[in-house]
Amino acid sequence: MLHIALKTIAICLLAAQPLAAENLGQPSGEVVLTVSGAPQTGNAGGAAQFDLAMLEGLGAVEFETSTIWTQGVQHFEGVPLDQLVDRLDITGTTLRATAINDYAVDIPLSDAVEGGPIIAYKLNGEEMSVRDKGPLWIVYPYDSKTEYQSEVVYSRSIWQLDRIEVIE
Amino acid sequence: MAGRKRSKIWLRLAAFGLPALMGFAAIALLAFNVSRDITRLNSASSDNIQWTLSQTEVEFLQFDLALSQAQLEEAPDFRSLRRRFDVFFSRIRTLRQASIYSDLREVPEFAANLATVGAYLEAVVPDIDSETSALQEALPALKAQSEAIRPDVRRLSVSGLNYFAVESDFRREAFSGTLLHLAIAIAALVAALAVLACYLAVLNAQNVRRRTQVIEASERMNIVTSTSLDAVVVADTLGRITDFNAAAEQIFGYSAKDAVGCDLGELIVPEHHRAAHQAGMARLRETGEKRVVGSGRFKLEAKRANGEVFPVELAIQSADTKEGEIFIAFLRDISSQVQAEAELVLARDRAMAGEKAKTDFLATMSHEIRTPLNGLLGNLTLLEETRLSAKQSRYIRNMQTSGKLLMSHISDVLDITKFDAGKLRLQMVDMNISTLLKDIVDSLSGAAAGNGSTLEWGWAGAPLNWVHADRDRIQHILMNIVGNAVKFTKDGRISITAQSSAADEGKTILQISVRDTGTGIDPGLLPHIFDDFATGDSSYDREVGGTGLGLGIAQRFVKALGGRITVVSTPGEGSVFNVSLPVQAIAAPEPTREARFAAPARKRANVLLVEDNEINRQVAREMLTAQGHFVTEAHNGREAVEIAEETGFDLILMDISMPVMDGRSAARAIRTGGGASARTPIIAVTANAMAEEQEAFLKDGMNDVLTKPLTREGLLQLIADHPSPAPSAPAGAALRSLQLIELEETVGAEALQPLLSRFEAEMEAFLKGLENGQDLAANETAVEAHRIAGSAATFGLPELRSALIRLEKAALSQERQAAEDALSPLRNAWTSTKPVLNLF
Repeated sequence: MLHIALKTIAICLLAAQPLAAENLGQPSGEVVLTVSGAPQTGNAGGAAQFDLAMLEGLGAVEFETSTIWTQGVQHFEGVPLDQLVDRLDITGTTLRATAINDYAVDIPLSDAVEGGPIIAYKLNGEEMSVRDKGPLWIVYPYDSKTEYQSEVVYSRSIWQLDRIEVIE
Repeated sequence: MAGRKRSKIWLRLAAFGLPALMGFAAIALLAFNVSRDITRLNSASSDNIQWTLSQTEVEFLQFDLALSQAQLEEAPDFRSLRRRFDVFFSRIRTLRQASIYSDLREVPEFAANLATVGAYLEAVVPDIDSETSALQEALPALKAQSEAIRPDVRRLSVSGLNYFAVESDFRREAFSGTLLHLAIAIAALVAALAVLACYLAVLNAQNVRRRTQVIEASERMNIVTSTSLDAVVVADTLGRITDFNAAAEQIFGYSAKDAVGCDLGELIVPEHHRAAHQAGMARLRETGEKRVVGSGRFKLEAKRANGEVFPVELAIQSADTKEGEIFIAFLRDISSQVQAEAELVLARDRAMAGEKAKTDFLATMSHEIRTPLNGLLGNLTLLEETRLSAKQSRYIRNMQTSGKLLMSHISDVLDITKFDAGKLRLQMVDMNISTLLKDIVDSLSGAAAGNGSTLEWGWAGAPLNWVHADRDRIQHILMNIVGNAVKFTKDGRISITAQSSAADEGKTILQISVRDTGTGIDPGLLPHIFDDFATGDSSYDREVGGTGLGLGIAQRFVKALGGRITVVSTPGEGSVFNVSLPVQAIAAPEPTREARFAAPARKRANVLLVEDNEINRQVAREMLTAQGHFVTEAHNGREAVEIAEETGFDLILMDISMPVMDGRSAARAIRTGGGASARTPIIAVTANAMAEEQEAFLKDGMNDVLTKPLTREGLLQLIADHPSPAPSAPAGAALRSLQLIELEETVGAEALQPLLSRFEAEMEAFLKGLENGQDLAANETAVEAHRIAGSAATFGLPELRSALIRLEKAALSQERQAAEDALSPLRNAWTSTKPVLNLF
C-alpha cells in the first residue's frame, strides 16, 4: 500500500516538471508582469512575462476584505502568490516587487502561502486601471488574519505592480 | 475571640491588599498603554503617510517634468506621460478614499487643497485621455495648468505634514502623560506596599510579643505547677500520665521520670477503687460522659508507691489540646487533716460526754438531796400540826427556815448548771406584772419592816399589767434584787418602779428599777457584782448572808429572757438596779382563772399516790388525808398501772424515778391501757426540774409537773387545778364516796367493809338471777329490788337506787316490757358503782 502511494507521488512529480515549462506560453496581449530571477521557467530569456490572460490562467482566488486605502469592504480576485511561486518554481527566499513609479518593496517568500496574499487583477469584478491602483495589486486578506494588519504587511501591499524579481 | 481577631487582621490585610491589587492592575494597564504607544512610535505608518504625502508632490513633479519634456520633443512619449498622470491621479484618489486618511481629510486646509487638486485632475482628464494629436495640441495648456496647480499640490503635502507633526506631538505628549501616570501609579503602589510592609511589621512585632508572653506564661505555669503544694497529675484519655509535678513525686513516692507514661489507675488508684476508675475511663472514652471531671472538689483515696492508701481531696478538670483531650487532677494529701478531724471529733465527743456526765451528776445529786430534804420538810410540816410547846414550835420554824434555804441554794446551783449547759427553757405564760410586783412586795415587806425600812412599788407612766413572759424567771430575778435591797438597807427606803416603752417588732420593753437607800456597793466590787459567789464581804462575820449566787442567776435569767441588767451604786447612799426585759404585751384575759385560783374546790378527791420512797409517800398521804382526800398507795409504776386499770381515780400523783417501772412508763401504760383511770389527770412529782424533762413528761400523757419538795399548798392547788375526774371514772363518784367516807368515819373501816361486801354479793346475786331467767314481772323481783334500793340509799348510791326503784315499779305493775327496759340502766349503774365500793 505504502509502496503504491510512494510510486504515485513519484510519477506525479516527474510529470509536473516538463508540463510547467511547456504551458507557460507567450504573452499575446500587453505584458502586465515580468518575473525575473527565475530562469528555469522563463519565457523571455531568464524572465517570465505575463499578460492578464496568462495570469488569469494560473488560477484565480477571490476574497473580500477591507483595506486601509479604500472605504468599506472590497471584493478582490487574483492569482495567489504561492501558486505563482509554484508555477515558476521559484526557490529563493525574497521577492522584490516593483511598481510602475519604481516604488519597490521586498516580500519574503515565506509570505507566499495558501490563504495568503494574491496578485489581484480585479476589484469588485472589474479590471483595475492605473488610476485605480491597477492593473496589478498585491493584496493580503487583511480581515482574515490580524497579523496581516501590520505596517510591514501594508508596506508589502504594493499597487500598480509590474515587476517581480527573485533577489535571493 | 481568636477567630474574630484573626478575621480582623484579614480585613486589615484586605484593606491594604485590595488597593495594592488595584495598583497592580493600573500599572498593567498603563504598561500596556506604554507598550502600545511605543509600538505606535515605532511603526512606520506616520513615516509612510509622510512618505505618501511627499510622494504626491514627487509624482506631480514627475508628471510636470514629463509635460515639459513632451513640449520639447518632436515625438513625445505620450504613454509615459499618461502613466505619470495616472500614477499621480491614483495617488490623489488614494488620499481622497483611503480610510487611514479620514482624520487628515478632516483638516480644513488639507481638505480644501485636496478638493482643488481633485478639481484640477477632473479638469485635465479629458485632455490626457484624448487622441495623441489632440493631446499634442493641449500640451501647452496642460503645462500652464500644471504650473498653476503646482503651489496647491505643494500646500497639500505641507498641510498634511503639519497635521502629522501636530499629531506626533500630541502622541508624544500622550505618551509622556501615560508614563507620568505610570510613574504615579507605581509610586502609589510602592507607598501602599510600604504601608502594608509597616503593618505586617507591626503584626509581626505583636506576634513576637505574644509568643514571648505565651512562653513566659507557660514558664510561669510550669513554675506554679512544680512548686504547687498540691500534686498535679496530667493524663490523657487513655489514662496515661503525661505530667507529674514535684508535689506529686513527694506525695506518691514516684519520680516524674518513672510516672510519666504509666497508667494512672495502676500507679495511684488503690485496688478497691480500680474497677470503678477503669469503668469511668472507659465510659469517658466511649460516651464522653464526665462524672467527676469539672464537678468540683471531692474526697477519695489514693495509693502511694509503698502501697499505703491515704485520703486525698481532689479536683479534676479537662482541657482540649492539639494532642487531644487531657485531664488535670489536683490532689491534696489530707491524711493529717482527716486524722486531725477524727481527733477533734473524739475530743468533742469526750467533752460532750463529760458535760453530760456533769449535768447528769448534778441532776442526780439534786434529786438525791431533794428527796431526803423533802422528807425532812414534809415531816416538819406534819410535826407542826401536832400538839407542841412554844419552844418546840420555834425549833421547828428554825428547822423549816434552814431547810427552805438549803432547798433554794440547791435550786440556785441547778439553775446555773442548766443555764450554762444551755438547757434553760423559758416557760412563757400570760401574767400580770402588777400582781407579781405586789406579791413580791407583800412577801418581802415583813423582812423590810424587820430592818426598819419601807418597801413600795409603783408604775412610772401608764401601767402595763398583762404580758406574755416567763413569770417564774422574772419573779426569781426580782426576788433576788429586791431581796438584796431589803437585806442591805437598814432604816431606809426601797422603791420599785416599773415602766413600759415600745420597742421593735411589736415588742415592749419592760423596765423595772429597784432603788434603795442602803449601804451601796464598793466601787471595787461593782464590776464583779454579777459574778458567781460574789458577796459584798468575803469575811464571814458579815452582817447579811448569802451564797453570792443570787445576782449571777438573776443576770443569767435576764440574758436568757433577752434583756439587760445594770447597776449604779454609791457607797453609803444606796444602789439602783435596772432590769429591762423585752415582753409581749397582751390584753387582760377573762377573769375565770383568777376565780378558780381564788376558790379552790373543797370536795374530797380519790387520789392514787405512786411513790417508792416510804417517807415521802407517808408525808404526801398525810397531807392529802388531812385535807379529807382519799389516798390509794402504789410502791412503783407496775403496781400503779394495775390499780389504775381496775379503779377510776380523780388524780394520780406519779413519782418519776422508781424501781420496777418508772413513772413515765407507768403514765404511758395507764393512758394507753384503756383502764378505769385511762383519762384521769396524772401529775408528775419529781425533784428533777429540767424543763425539757418536764416537756417529756407531758408528752408521755401526764398533765402537770409538781416539783419536790411537796408542800401542802402546792398539793391543794394541784387538786384544785385538776378538779374533773376522768369520764371513764364513775360519774359523781367523788360525791357519793363522800357519803361512804362519812359512813366509814362513823362506823369505822372494820365495820363498813363487811357491809359493803355483803351489799356487793347481794347485788351480784340479784343481777345474776335476773339474767338467768327470773321472771322480771314477778312480785319477788319487786320485793328484792326494793330491799337492795334501801341499802343503796344507805351507802349514798342514788343512781343505783333510782335504777332499782324503776325496776321495782315495773315489776309491781306487771309491765314486762317496762321491766326489761329498766334492766339495762340498772346494769350500767352497777358497773359504774362497783369500783367505788372496791375502794373501801
